[in-house]
Formats: sequence, structure tokens, C-alpha cells
Amino acid sequence: MQMNDSQRIPASREQVWAALNDPAVLKQCIPGCQALEVTGPNEMTATVIFKVGPVKATFGGKVTLSDLDPPNGYRISGEGSGGVAGFAKGGAVVRLESESADVTVLHYEVDAQIGSKLAQLGARLINSTATKLAGEFFKSFAEVVGVRVEAV
Amino acid sequence: MNDMTPTREQREAVLEGMGCKRKRVEDIRFTQGKGNYVDDVKLPGMLHGDFVRSPHPHARVKKIDDSEALKVPGVLAVITAETLKTVNLAWMPTLAGDVQMVLADGKVLFQNQEVAFVVATDRYAADDGINKVVVEYEPLPPLVDPFKSMDADAPVLREDLAGKTTGAHGPRKHHNHIFEWTVGDKELTDAAFKKAEVTIKEMISYHRTHPSPLETCQCVCSFDKIKGELTIWGTFQAPHVIRTVVSLIAKLPEQKIHVIAPDIGGGFGNKVGAYPGYICAAVASIVTGKPVKWVEDRIENLTATSFARDYHMTTEIAATKEGKVTGLRVHVLADHGAFDACADPSKWPAGFFNIVTGSYDFPTAHLAVDGVYTNKAPGGVAYRCSFRVTEAAYCIERAMDILAQKLNMDPAELRLKNFIKPEQFPYHSALGWEYDSGDYHTAMRKMMETTGYAALRKEQAEKRAAFARGETREIMGLGVSFFTEIVGAGPSKNCDILGIAMFDSCEIRMHPTGAGIARMGTKSQGQGHETTWAQIIATEIGIPADNIQVEEGNTDTAPYGLGTYGSRSTPVAGAAIAMAARKIKAKAQMIAAYKLEVHEDDLEWDIDGFRVKGLPEKFMSMKDICWAAYNAVPPGMEPGLEAVSYYDPPNMTYPFGAYLCVMDIDVDTGVYKVRRFYALDDCGTRINPMIIEGQVHGGLTEAFAIAMGQEIRYDETGNVVTGSFMDFFMPTAVETPHWETDFTVTPSPHHPIGAKGVGESPNVGGVPAFSNAVNDAFSFLGATHIQMPHDYWRNWKAAKDLGAVA
Repeated sequence: MQMNDSQRIPASREQVWAALNDPAVLKQCIPGCQALEVTGPNEMTATVIFKVGPVKATFGGKVTLSDLDPPNGYRISGEGSGGVAGFAKGGAVVRLESESADVTVLHYEVDAQIGSKLAQLGARLINSTATKLAGEFFKSFAEVVGVRVEAV
Repeated sequence: MNDMTPTREQREAVLEGMGCKRKRVEDIRFTQGKGNYVDDVKLPGMLHGDFVRSPHPHARVKKIDDSEALKVPGVLAVITAETLKTVNLAWMPTLAGDVQMVLADGKVLFQNQEVAFVVATDRYAADDGINKVVVEYEPLPPLVDPFKSMDADAPVLREDLAGKTTGAHGPRKHHNHIFEWTVGDKELTDAAFKKAEVTIKEMISYHRTHPSPLETCQCVCSFDKIKGELTIWGTFQAPHVIRTVVSLIAKLPEQKIHVIAPDIGGGFGNKVGAYPGYICAAVASIVTGKPVKWVEDRIENLTATSFARDYHMTTEIAATKEGKVTGLRVHVLADHGAFDACADPSKWPAGFFNIVTGSYDFPTAHLAVDGVYTNKAPGGVAYRCSFRVTEAAYCIERAMDILAQKLNMDPAELRLKNFIKPEQFPYHSALGWEYDSGDYHTAMRKMMETTGYAALRKEQAEKRAAFARGETREIMGLGVSFFTEIVGAGPSKNCDILGIAMFDSCEIRMHPTGAGIARMGTKSQGQGHETTWAQIIATEIGIPADNIQVEEGNTDTAPYGLGTYGSRSTPVAGAAIAMAARKIKAKAQMIAAYKLEVHEDDLEWDIDGFRVKGLPEKFMSMKDICWAAYNAVPPGMEPGLEAVSYYDPPNMTYPFGAYLCVMDIDVDTGVYKVRRFYALDDCGTRINPMIIEGQVHGGLTEAFAIAMGQEIRYDETGNVVTGSFMDFFMPTAVETPHWETDFTVTPSPHHPIGAKGVGESPNVGGVPAFSNAVNDAFSFLGATHIQMPHDYWRNWKAAKDLGAVA
């Protein structure tokens, strides 16, 4: 499953880049995120409640940042297991483009794979759910970063 | 004789014998909710087991940690492959000569494969325990597409077979190859194609589906340590085979194993195989010393116990310009999933697929089947059909329509031109079968006349013209299907399961008052054996069917039999019943002769007793003979009146039928309406016309489901995405069309009562009728073959691909 979209953020590219590397911001923006802890350079563990159709499960897993190219972009990837509900893995290539000094366009290309019960029961809902979740993440990210910039 | 003497008609009516629409005796308990199913078995101290299953289609199992699971209140044990290895049961033999993991041994090969078995005091605790078992997997690349299974770089699925270049059915060509099976004359067939005036070639897929009985697979195992005896209540279509298999693999003496199949809520082939659940429940009972119940849920049933079909059939027909077929060439790529657990007679790796020449007189044919492994659930059972016969019938019936289209001939006319003629029976087919009997032309013409076939074709032509003029968006299809089944496995010369010949059996024991009990080696799962078996006995020995108790499913009391599947019950056990009854009758005749003081040869059978020829008043009823059998037998004769028969059939039986489906499809939405469905079946002698009609209704409904939407589908990463009735089409009364049934009667010449079996014919003939209707509807827009299942979306997509929808 793949999704491509972009989000316009009222902040400079450097500010957006900083937020993309801030676990607190990520935790706030990942839908259903219960906990996010830094475990090493560019490595975090996360607990996320994920719901597709009739299946709702708590996923525990690893989040890794790679291909870092400050302040232009990186790849954020994660994989986690929700026990009997199944597993999910995927990531997003994020690219930042300055529209002006204080407006940045964030482009993202998401690919995701899910397995087991989530796929068996929620197959017809997965694409729409994933699109919705990715949208929610980047929308709240834009908001959070925007609010930060205003506050400064 | 006074006025009270019943007439012959009255005496016959009282018997409710063969030909009578006798009401099903089992329905008295079923309709009152008083059936006794496996889940109704509740024993003191009974435990419950459930599986940890793999989320991955292909992965290495690095570690299984059960420490947290064992802390869950109520959880008593977690059984893994390591546990099973201590009793040499980590792997089990399959019916097809392969081996299958009972629990994941180092690797998982399909999603939802059994990894560990959690045993607890109740089902809830077991499920809580499952959530706490931590399994560490290392995912491996999944192999989903069977067409890529034999690529040079295809992942190795079965590491246990490394270096084995020969399997149960001959040489293996590749690490994911199971067998190649070839039948027929290749040279002659290739020559026929070389000089053919017309040929067609099409890859016809029969998608993976599932029998999905309403009651899932389940068992209760109870091991008595003191007596060393294992009792298994289970949903078994073949209880005796289960007893023998358990004895062989668990090394328990066969007399210490008691297998009981109580009432079964549908089987359709799903309940033939031996599953890890049975083994794990048995081991768990041995380990804990308590009875253990295992009950599959719906997802487990659809995704882990035996699937059906998954045949990809590249089909070619050679013919003359006038439409006379001259050769048939078929190559099948058979997707068997992770283990070859096909439930076929052992020598037949592709079942009886070589019935693929169908009802037609092909001078020559050649068939090759390649079985391959993929990361999918194992199985390959005969879902309401004889072994791979549905696939064969679909293959040839689609191909005949494709040929008709190419020749611009009517498909019914093409069939009539190529049918085996009545005078050709017994007919030897190019692929090796001896068809016992048939009258195809009569059946086909009756179908055409009754349905007004010619008028329907005319209406179709008008509708097509109206569509072309833009006056309607609806297209009309006529699906013709003429099938020949091969059922009643089978003769010991060519049919066995793990070396056990496929006979069947009946034991009849008459009681002094003119009643009796009869036991068979078959097992009804809804077929109504308790009703029909008694009817055969009633006609044979003149005792009312109501006075005959039929009992099946208990291996301690029933004679050994191979069970119920593949429409074998009537052809094989039905024959055994008649033969056992005839033994009873022969002894009865001796008793009657003694009592009537005549020679046996002076007696003639008369409905319900023996009469002295020429002296109508000298008569002894079977009821009185029963009494005499226990109290006044001729000198030197043993008392009692009972008989056993084991019947090894001399040949298969070959039911056939002519079906027509009339369908209208809206091209803009893909929504179809089955306007009419006519099914003419010839199953030889008809034992109970009402039960036959019910069987045909049920079989057609399953055919409708399969052709029009029912599918087990995997995504490209190996997820099975049709794991519930939300996505797996299960028609209810709302979707099911109205069925019209009809019949002709061509008795089987070698069967004692001439019966052929009917339970599965409607599924065999129904699927091509539906699919041909859809393809026929689209043919004038340029379609040659549209793959099943034909759900609304695919119909819409077909219309779009053909340019009928913008």
C-alpha cells in the first residue's frame, strides 16, 4: 500500500526539520501514540493503539530515522507487533521544500504493510484507514509546528 | 380374505421404501434444537485448547516464550513442536503421501499456521494465554503466486524436503514442485492438434475457495490412563479412517481407540482430513489426564483447515470446422499450499481430474498436472464433489463454450454433436475411465424443451440488438452446462486411502418383533442417511422403514467403512446395505420355507413376505419370519437374523445432468439477476425424491456461491484477506435464486439397486452453468473467457474492459 501527498506548513524549513526530529512532537502527532521513548541515536520505541474496522490492538515497536539529510528530509520507518492482531511495518520518505522563508511544503511518500488478523478482517478498510491516519499525522504535525512558530 | 386385508398399494405404502418421499427422521431432533454435536459433549473436568497462530506467511520461528502465558489464571500447559517431538508427533502424515507440521517446527509456511497449543480450564483463559505467548519470527519472502513457484530464484519453502528429488507421486522437478501426473496419449493428441481445422486455447482458473460448513472442525479427546484408551468425539466424515490413522501415528492399539462422530453440521469435504487440532487435543489429554476440547472459530476454519480447488487449467481443444471434437490437451498448475494434504484416494494425486473429457467422445486426450507448494494453507479437498471432478467439469464445460463461440455455433448444439451416444456405453474414455451408463441426448433435449431454450436464444438476440441501439443497459446470458460426474470411490483395484481399500459396509440386525437396527461405515453430515438407508432396507426386506433404526459414526459398533464424501455413500454403502439385506432375505426364505412346509424354490417374494407360488393364501410376513428366526428355526440352522456386507464396487458410477442458467447483468453496476435456473439430474434409481431435491437445492446454492463470489484470496504479501463471512460470500435466502429441478432415470447397470449418488452433482454442474451464463452474456461484446468468481465488481470491470462502460 502506498500513499503520496504533501502538507503546507507555516514555518521555516529549519523549524520543520527540528520538529521532525523531536520525539515529543512525534508523540503528539502519531495517531493513537501512547508512549515514545528515545533508545539511541535516531532510534525510538513506541506504543500505539491502532484500529482497523473490527480489530483494535496495541502495537509495540521500533521507530527508526534514516537517510538523514538536514534540513531537507529523512526516512522514518517503523515496525511493530500487535500480538494476535498481527503486525505492521512501513515508513515514509519525507522531503522538505521551502516555499518562502516561513512556509515549508512537506512532501511524503508512505509505504506500509500489515499482516494477520488486521488484514484478514479489515482488508477492505485498510487503505482508507491508512490514508486517514497518514493525513491525521501530517495535519497535526503542521498544526503543532505552526503553533510553535507563533509562540516564538 | 376379508375387507380388512390391506391392498398391495397399502402394504407398499406402509414400508415407505425406495421412491417414497419419506420425511427426514433426523429432522425431528434437528428442528427442535435437540441434535447432539461435538460442542454438546461436555465431560467432567474438561479442558479447552486453542492455537497461537502465525501472523506471517513465511518466517523462521526463532523463539517461543510461554512464561507469561503460564502465569495466566487457568492456563495449564502450552504445547509446542518441542513438546510434540517427545512423542514423535511434531509432524503427521497427510492423506496425499506428504508430511505436515502439527505445530511450527522451526518455520511457518502459511499465515495462521498452528504454532503453539494453549490448554486451559476454559476457552477464555486459553485465549488470554494465547495473547501472552511471545513468538519471535524472522520473516522470509513469501511465495504467493503459483506461477512463480518454480522460478529458479523462488524461495525454498519445504526445507525438510531438501535433496529429495522424488516425492510420493514420482520425480520432483524443483524445490517447490510436488508431483507431475500425466495421463493419455501425448503423441496421438499432439498429432490431432497438428491436423486440426480449428483449435482453441484458454487458461481457465478455478479459484481457491472453502467448504465452510456452518459447524467448524472440532473434537473432544479423552485419554483414560488406567485403561490406556483414547476416546475421540469429532466432526469426522470418515471416523474409521481417523481411528486407523491415530493408531498408526500415535502407536496406540486400534482396539483402544474409540472414535465417535456425533451429529455433524455440514462437512462438504472440510471434515475428511486429519488436522493439528485433533493431534494437539489428544496429546493434551494424554499430558493432563483430562478431556480436552478443541473448537475452531470461523477465521481458523476459513484460513487454516482444508481449502478447495485452486486449479489453473490451460485447456486446448482440437476440432473440425463442423464442430466435431478431435482432441483435448490440458495442463493444470495445482496450488496445494504449504503441504500436500489433498484428500484424494492415495494413488490419485489430482483425484479423478482425468474425467476432464466430460460427456464428449474425444478420440484422444492428454493431461498433465503439476502440483506445487506455495505459502498458503494446505488442503485441496473435494468441496461437495468427487475428487477434483468439479474442476474437471468446469474446465471442459467452459472450453466447450469457448469452442462454440469460435465456431459461431450454439453451445447446446455443439454438445449434442459431440456427446457419447447411448449405444457406446459402457464407454472407454481417452483418459482411462469406463463410463457405466448414460443417455445424454435425452437429458439435454428434455432440458431444452422444458426451458424453451430456442425462445430464450431469440430473446437474447433481440436484447443484444436493443443494447446496440442504446435502448437498454442490461445484457442477457444463457449458461448451458452438461456434466458427467464420476463418484462412488471406489473399486479396490484403483482406490485406496493410505492402503485401505475404499469399500464400504453395512450390518443389519433384525429383532424378534420385526424391527431392526442397521449400522454403516458411512457418516451423514446432513445427507439424511437415517431416512434413506432405512428406505433401501424397507424395500429389500419388507419391513417398514420406521422400524429400522440407522446408526452411524461410532467405530466400536459400526462395521469398518471409509466414510461419507465424494458422493460415495449411495454407490458404495448403499450397495452394501442392499447386499446385507439380501443376505437377511435369503435366510428368511429358508425359515419361511420350513414354516410353510414347502421347498425354498416354491416361494416368491411379495412386498413384505414370502408366498407359496400358486397358493396365495400360504404367506409368511417378514415380521413373522423375524419372530421365527429367534424361536423356531429349521433344525440345524443357527438362530438369529443378521447380516454384514462389505461391498467392493466393480466400477465407479457416472451421474450426469443438463443445467441451464438464465442471467441478466446490468453493465453499469455489474449487478446480476439469476432469472431462472433449471437443473435436470440423472442419478439412476431415486431412493427418496424429496431428499434428492433438497440435495440439489443445497448443491446449487453452493455452486452459486462459488461461481458468483466465494473465494479464499491472498494479497501479494501472503495475507489471507477473506477471513470472515464479511468478505467470504455465504449466500443466505436473500441472495439465493429459485431452483427448478427435473430428472431422467438411467440406472447404473452394476449397482445392486441402480443408484448413482446425487449430493454433489449440482455443485459439479452448477458452477459451469453460472460461469457460462456470465461469459455468454459478455460474449457478443468480445469476451472469450472471464475468470470466476463473477461478483458485481468483476462484472462491472469486465464491462469496462470490453468498452461497454465509459
